[in-house]
Amino acid sequence: MIEVKDLYKQFGDNIVLQGVTETIQKGEKVVIVGPSGSGKSTFLRCLNLLEQPTSGEIWFENTQINDKKGDINKLRQKMGMVFQHFNLFPHLTVLQNIMLAPVELKLQTKKEAEENAMRLLERVGLVDKAGSYPAMISGGQKQRIAIVRALAMNPDVMLFDEPTSALDPEMVGEVLNVMRELAEEGMTMIVVTHEMGFAREVATRVLFMDEGKILEQNTPDAFFSSPRNSRLQDFLSKVL
Amino acid sequence: MADKLAGFFVKLGYDLYNNLIEKGRYITILTGLRNTLLIALCAIVIGTVIGALIALCRLSKNGFLRGIGSGYVTIIRGVPLVTQLMIFYFVIFGPMGWDKILVSIIGFGINSGGYVAEIFRAGIQAVDKGQMEAGRSLGLNKTQAMMKIILPQAIKNILPTYTSEFITLIKETSVAGYIAVQDLTKSGDMIRNATYNAWIPLLSVAIIYLVLTLGLAKLFTLLERRLARSDRG
Repeated sequence: MIEVKDLYKQFGDNIVLQGVTETIQKGEKVVIVGPSGSGKSTFLRCLNLLEQPTSGEIWFENTQINDKKGDINKLRQKMGMVFQHFNLFPHLTVLQNIMLAPVELKLQTKKEAEENAMRLLERVGLVDKAGSYPAMISGGQKQRIAIVRALAMNPDVMLFDEPTSALDPEMVGEVLNVMRELAEEGMTMIVVTHEMGFAREVATRVLFMDEGKILEQNTPDAFFSSPRNSRLQDFLSKVL
Repeated sequence: MADKLAGFFVKLGYDLYNNLIEKGRYITILTGLRNTLLIALCAIVIGTVIGALIALCRLSKNGFLRGIGSGYVTIIRGVPLVTQLMIFYFVIFGPMGWDKILVSIIGFGINSGGYVAEIFRAGIQAVDKGQMEAGRSLGLNKTQAMMKIILPQAIKNILPTYTSEFITLIKETSVAGYIAVQDLTKSGDMIRNATYNAWIPLLSVAIIYLVLTLGLAKLFTLLERRLARSDRG
């Protein structure tokens, strides 16, 4: 579904990604872990071209994303993204946040979009917040809404960029629960996170990134119980 | 004492009559007020349109457009308003036979555009970068994200400074007299020259400016409050 070939990304003199090659199949739940500055967020942001790769190829559903001829806006409709800082639109209500893109892009009528949004809100238990503005709700609620907003586009894959890192500890659980349910429904997910418990429980594959490369990858069991790379061993000894 | 006081009021009454009523002098003031308002209102419209365009130039990825934008702002902000106005009238439009008031409108509009551009640019840049990213990640193109997500938020940042630009503009139109436009200030001056009384015409003019600017400030405060609805926690 997603194929990355020899991806490089450079910010000025700083080479953040040094040749990443990776294939992600439909239905996989890939969790990417690694120390900060390892390039994992940049890698994720390259997948929907929020960062323009310096070189390399990214293919999504048989279309090359980082090709001038491709219509990135069309492709992004099929790739939902959830950000560390939620990035809800503060001037719109929760319902309007969710309806904006499907209506603006003429994928759904207002009525369809609203029904769809309410159904999704019900799933995450936030129907009563439909008319609230983002400033009135908690961080955990914001992130659940942000997930719903991405889901409203009926994406084929969901990208999560440290979705719980900006949350108070007691709100992490409610967001992870929504993500867990999403995984159970078969959504293809790529998650950058520091939540090792989530990785162990939900991931089908865990990747370890450091200094712009994927140094090791394995099933969660093998990844956590018998890491081979010395830097991964070092990393796990610090975070577990 | 009582005599003196009575004498003062009699003189005040006479002066007021002489400066504001006699020979239809209130019409002079009203004409000035009309011209001031006409110039300020039309100029802010022109300034807003130019400001928006120049702000977009300054935020553009295209180096040429950025150059135009910053060049415009540099010139407008670096040359005194009166000088600009006189150039517009005596050098450019006057010789073409254009009307003084029209030239003032254009001159003040072009000048205001430079300042409005900076207000717009700052307001747009103050919107969190994540907002554009969130919009784009949903598949909106740049224009759609700008119209639906960035600008509605930028307006809230812009409004307070934009208001003060409008108020500044109203006051700055008082230099229109330099190209012989009869604005409010010039009207006061004309009366002063006719009656040799300085304080009644000048004070009257000052009070009218104050009422205008205060009224506008109030109006915009109301608007800001309405826009702040979504901020209430």
